[in-house]
Parts: sequence; C-alpha cells; structure tokens
Amino acid sequence: MTVDQVQDSQNPETEHPSLPHIVHLRVQTPRGLWSMQEPKDATKRPVYPISTKIEQVIQDAREVFKFVEQDSKYTLFRGDEILEPQRTLASYKIEDGTLLVLSVQGGNA
Amino acid sequence: MSVPVEVSQQTVQTELVAAAEYAAAAGLDLDTGFLSEHSLAFFVRFWNRDGDQFYAEFQCEEYPLYPPTVEFVNKSRSERGTLRLYPQGFHPTPCICMRYNRKAYGERGGPHGDWRMLDWRLPTGNGIAIDTLALMVSDLHSKIRQSSGRMA
Repeated sequence: MTVDQVQDSQNPETEHPSLPHIVHLRVQTPRGLWSMQEPKDATKRPVYPISTKIEQVIQDAREVFKFVEQDSKYTLFRGDEILEPQRTLASYKIEDGTLLVLSVQGGNA
Repeated sequence: MSVPVEVSQQTVQTELVAAAEYAAAAGLDLDTGFLSEHSLAFFVRFWNRDGDQFYAEFQCEEYPLYPPTVEFVNKSRSERGTLRLYPQGFHPTPCICMRYNRKAYGERGGPHGDWRMLDWRLPTGNGIAIDTLALMVSDLHSKIRQSSGRMA
C-alpha cells in the first residue's frame, strides 16, 4: 500500500463519499442505553465524525455509565460483529442511527 | 438467613428489564417463560465465534442476597453442567468461575473456598464488579463470543 493509499483509506470522504460526515449512534450497555435522549443526565451524546476511532466510542460510553475499572475488558459490537478499537466508524460503514453494543467483561478468578 | 420468594421474584423481574434490553441489542435469546414464584429460573442462548450455540441457566433462589447458580444446559434443558455444554475458556471443573455464580463457591462444591457468598458483589481481581443480571449476561456474552470450540 502506498502512502497515498494509506491517506485515502483514512479519509472518510474519499473512502465512502455517500456517507454523512456525522453519525448519531445508539450504544446499548449493561447499565442502559446511550442515545441522543438517554440517559437524561449524560454529559455527552453519541455524535461522531465518521473518522472517529472505535476506541473513542468505547471510552465515551464507559465515561457516561461510569465503567471506570481499567482491568475489565470492554468490547463494542455491531450485531454479532466485534469492532476493532483502532479502526474508524467509516471503515465499518457505520450509518446514522446504528445500534451498537458495549459488552463488559469482569476479571477472571 | 433467607429471602422470601416474592422478594427474589420482584428483584429478578426488575433487573431483567435491563438484561432483556442488552440481550435484544446483542442478538441473544432471553427466555423468561419459566419464571414464576415456583421457579426463579431464566435462560439465555449465546453464540461463540464459530456460531456454536450455548445455553445458560440462571437459577435465582434467594437472589439478591446470594448470587444465582449459573450453569450451561442443553437445548432441551435435560442435561446440565457437562463439559460438552461448556464453551472453551471456562474453569475445567467445569464451572463459570465468577463471584456471581453460586456454583463457584467452596461451600457449594466449587473451586473457591476463599470466597464468601455474601460478598458476591465484590469484583474479581481488579475488574468491574459483576453485580446485576445484565452485567452477568454481558460478561458471558463477551467471553463466549470470543471463544472457539467446546470443552469436550
């Protein structure tokens, strides 16, 4: 892959010209749904440029629902698909209104 | 010390709201059809990364004072707790070796004689405390979805 190709793959407009620049997500967690309306007292809302990395969505959902433990494993799913933290929303062609799931795994005994 | 069955039933039904929302979003099958004052059990069907199906039974007598007994069963629920019903990655006894599983405690024949059931809401290691039914479902969802194969 050339440098130009790498740059193109990181540019959502070049990679997916038909996608909107911003997506409004819904993220279901074991402590509730994070959306444009819920929870009412959320300090931020799941609105992202499609160039945003998955890890940022995970971090923000954890902050909203106070999943502070660093040693737990947090995984974002779209349906049955595991979303890799270092990839972008655009690379998965995440659309406006998509429902994602944040799974939370406890420590092992 | 015991918990009246109506208290356990009400607590389970209340917590199942969040568990059901999580299960629906994650594509898991949650079966609460057997839940009554005579049977505080519900079931969840999970899939591993190969698409194999696993059925977990949550027996919630005396919940939330004590954790549920969580066990893998077959589809018809006529067989439980055998190696072939377990996904890879769990304790080889076999057992879901977490504080939220009554079976994991030494007093119930499990591997952890160092745990007290009354402390079941404590975190395991430095991880998050798995202290609700929705978190239990999520913990199992994460572990099973990323595993491959069965224990036997």
